[in-house]
Amino acid sequence: MRNNTKGQKMHIETIAPGLERLIESNPPFDRVVHGIQFGEGPVWDRRAGRLYFVDILGNTIWKWTPGVGREAVLHPSGYADGMTLDRQGRLVVAGWSLRTVWRFEKDGSLKTLVSHYQGKKINTPNDIVVRSDGSIYWTDSRGGLIIPGMVPVDCQPYLDYQGVFRLSADGTQVSLLIDDCESPNGLAFSPDESVLYVNDTRRAHIRAFDVRADGSLGTGRLFHRLTGKEEGVADGMKVDTEGNVYCTGPGGIHVTDPDGNLLGRLKIAEHCTNFAWGDEDWRSMYITTHESVYRTRVKIPGVATW
Amino acid sequence: MVTKDDQAMAWRFERVAGPYQGPTGGVAWDGEAMLFSVPNEGRIMRFNATTGAIGEYRRYMNRVNGLGFGADGDFYGCQEGSRRIVQFHPDGSTTTTATWLDGKIHNYPSDLVVDKAGRVWFSDPCNATPAIGIYRPPLDHASVLRLERDQGAWRLVLVTRDTNAPRAVLLSADETILYVSEGDCRGERNCALRSYPVNADGSVGPYEELHAFGIDHRGAHRGIEGMCLDSGHNIVACAGSRQSGPGPLVYVFSPGGVVLETRPLPFDMPMRCAFGDADLCSLYVTSGDGGVYRAKTERKGLLKRQ
Repeated sequence: MRNNTKGQKMHIETIAPGLERLIESNPPFDRVVHGIQFGEGPVWDRRAGRLYFVDILGNTIWKWTPGVGREAVLHPSGYADGMTLDRQGRLVVAGWSLRTVWRFEKDGSLKTLVSHYQGKKINTPNDIVVRSDGSIYWTDSRGGLIIPGMVPVDCQPYLDYQGVFRLSADGTQVSLLIDDCESPNGLAFSPDESVLYVNDTRRAHIRAFDVRADGSLGTGRLFHRLTGKEEGVADGMKVDTEGNVYCTGPGGIHVTDPDGNLLGRLKIAEHCTNFAWGDEDWRSMYITTHESVYRTRVKIPGVATW
Repeated sequence: MVTKDDQAMAWRFERVAGPYQGPTGGVAWDGEAMLFSVPNEGRIMRFNATTGAIGEYRRYMNRVNGLGFGADGDFYGCQEGSRRIVQFHPDGSTTTTATWLDGKIHNYPSDLVVDKAGRVWFSDPCNATPAIGIYRPPLDHASVLRLERDQGAWRLVLVTRDTNAPRAVLLSADETILYVSEGDCRGERNCALRSYPVNADGSVGPYEELHAFGIDHRGAHRGIEGMCLDSGHNIVACAGSRQSGPGPLVYVFSPGGVVLETRPLPFDMPMRCAFGDADLCSLYVTSGDGGVYRAKTERKGLLKRQ
């Protein structure tokens, strides 16, 4: 177990052989940000060499630069949640309480990309990922409408389902890909983008969907069911370049092999919400918790963000 | 002695809606229909008193219980599952109010009443069913709170400082008295109906206990869960259960707490009550069995809406 200077801890719990190939038994674990209320949405910007993340309850988008520290990017942020970068390096945001998917333009303006589906206001975009063809996928749960403390502009759900949407690369076509989730949250592509993983907080599982050439999805199959009684739920999820799946869950971050077998857990004392691969070699994990952002190191690089 | 006249005026409760899943909750007369909530189904229903038709007013409501109109038609609900009061708008949207009190999210609002100034007074007890999302501890007290507009934004004010489990709340016709049903009957405590004098600044003075419910070998008698005013400014309240005491009853209290009459209810666990129908002479009562019951009475409700 490694304690950083502030006393925060991470414990690597090995459950099956193979985990040692992915992470050392005692990796560094450094708190790079603290004093926030609800960290989320981390994404590493390789162009600028910095991390973006949000404080949902603090209603702020932050950036953190090594050697510089934390600076506000946008406040109020509409209680923004998940974030990623598109092929052009623009920050694309799951707008959560704003009930939109939006983007930072190069000129600094904010552009709403999606707010409605079939004439109805969408729920609260939770997490978001951009495919190599430039299309945007996001989970659309009701969480931002009903979780205590959230402040949506309108807390009325209008859609009869919670699912996953896709916005075509040209920004003209919104497609509903999955409509049978209970609480869709994290999502991530396999390294070759042939599979989209989608987790469900209330069902505490991860499903895998084959991705068709046109970007639509085949039938989902259960990939992994989260276990553990500690605090923590299926939330942020990412995949490394070997196809191992990392997903927040009870006690911290759960690591499964490409077949969905649990290899172990990165047990973290604080409530983990999400994480991002980062640094030049993509072998760092920037982990958001309610109060903090931590950095640790792994052996296998994560799938790079555009 | 029961006279022939008394017999003629028996309140014959008939079920007009339900049964739904779980208890029915708040009731509010909108001028032509009775709105009632079904917390466990996340729905608010609308019973057209003229045609008997039942329609859905809202869905996906995450356990809205108590309902209430303001004098100007503003309509609010106690969203237990999201720990907040919400406002329903005629266009179908729903907005949130202030939820933070001294750095914590308030508890699980149960019942509300709106005064002539548009302030929303509500009971804020704890609840056995947790709210959705990550657990956040309740306040260290369970009080009556009040929402006020502060230059357009909602502000939360602590009203009572001596309640443990406030259930139903009601204001006297002249709004100089706040009636609170205290439902804490642990140990040797009994449920009670209290009256708090309301000061000009909105604070309340020491309460008087208007009515104490009993305790016998089967346990404390269930207190008031719902109450409303009649045109004589009397308190019409539903209380009791078949578990102990005299059973489920409608009580009519004078403004000073004298029991003017009681009426037995043919179903257990009465929840909330309100007068409705064109003449405002029918009493509607919701119930633990998921029904909505109605009886013609010789009393008339006091309609607050103009």
